[in-house]
Amino acid sequence: MADYNKPLPEVNEDNKEFWTGCKSHELRFQKCKSCGHIRWPASIICPICHSRDLQWIVASGKGKIYTFAVYHVAYHRGFENDLPYTVADIELEEGPHILSNIVGCSHHKVRCDMPVVLSWEDITEEFSLPKFRPLS
Amino acid sequence: MVISYGHNAFSSDSMRRMLIERNGDDAVFGHFGAAAGYALAAQRAMCTFHTGPETWKHIAVGQRKWANMNPLATMYQRTMSFDDYYKANWVVEPFRLFDNCLMTDGGRAIIITSSERARDLRHPPVLIAGIGQHNPSYDVHQSTHLTGPTGAKKSGEMALKMAGVTINDIDACEIYDCFTYTVEISLQDYGFFGPGEGEDWFKDGTIEPGGRMPVNTSGGQLSEAYYMGLTPLSEATMQLMGRCCERQLGPTTNTKSPEIILCSDNGGILQTHNCTILRRP
Repeated sequence: MADYNKPLPEVNEDNKEFWTGCKSHELRFQKCKSCGHIRWPASIICPICHSRDLQWIVASGKGKIYTFAVYHVAYHRGFENDLPYTVADIELEEGPHILSNIVGCSHHKVRCDMPVVLSWEDITEEFSLPKFRPLS
Repeated sequence: MVISYGHNAFSSDSMRRMLIERNGDDAVFGHFGAAAGYALAAQRAMCTFHTGPETWKHIAVGQRKWANMNPLATMYQRTMSFDDYYKANWVVEPFRLFDNCLMTDGGRAIIITSSERARDLRHPPVLIAGIGQHNPSYDVHQSTHLTGPTGAKKSGEMALKMAGVTINDIDACEIYDCFTYTVEISLQDYGFFGPGEGEDWFKDGTIEPGGRMPVNTSGGQLSEAYYMGLTPLSEATMQLMGRCCERQLGPTTNTKSPEIILCSDNGGILQTHNCTILRRP
């Protein structure tokens, strides 16, 4: 883990709870206490009803691939050894769309609407990344 | 008023750095830049309606034929076949190399003035007949309607209404073509064809020299030069002025002499859209 050479998350007041949750292998999102909308990215007000009243919930970690792209070029040297790798937009059961990677599946087999489930990757002492693998 | 753009995007790394700079925590998952953003939109389109490389090859190859008639085009002396298109390397799948626009050293400028002042100028003026703008603005990976309609639909309707014309009155299009797919989704949302009908519409040389709807007649950003929104706007203006020499629309290229040309511009990853209709006085 000491030689991890990819970009690390940048923690701020909005996303601190999210990344803290990831460290405990929990995918946490804000849920509006007023209208029930579950949102991502995290913010101080609900984008639907503008309420500031919120609670954090733990997502099931299940979803499906809304879309994806397969990188054959590394735009950062940390990803050179991963080529080709898959970036995907996951539509979670709870509603939010989240950007992540598809792991445990050849890029040739990745499809839109494929059901996926969380697969945690512990990258440093401080951070774990929520990645996704096919549900099978 | 002068609208100008200039950049040394090819010889320096400034454009590349701008495109791949860190965008929040996307970089944590290895997600950078415009090609991948548009690739996400194009991939979702591929599972929603009939599209993909078999459609985009007509755009890449068709525009290249125009570039081969334009001495200023980067790809003036390089022809491209469907085979060349398919043999090129993947960049970010589903995009191969020739689905991507160029990086260019150079610039463009357009002078805008009143029609009264323009009467005395050396070149015949071109009129701005209609403008429409629509900005869906959603970040690409938070959008739940990635396949459209994009901003092209509403901005196209606005521009056509302002110009007092319909889509059937358009003689040629100069479309912002950062990627081949951008050309398809823009023309689709303007209403030239229905979702998934692009391959049928493009095939048999529709957009090429001699075709029934010429598109990106300088070679566009894919094969002439990338000058942001000024690549389409400057080409439409020059075509309507009749200053395009070998590639001039009309009898020279066995196409209709243009009275009205539709231009587009895009910002972000399909987040902003402008449609401008230009016409002869």
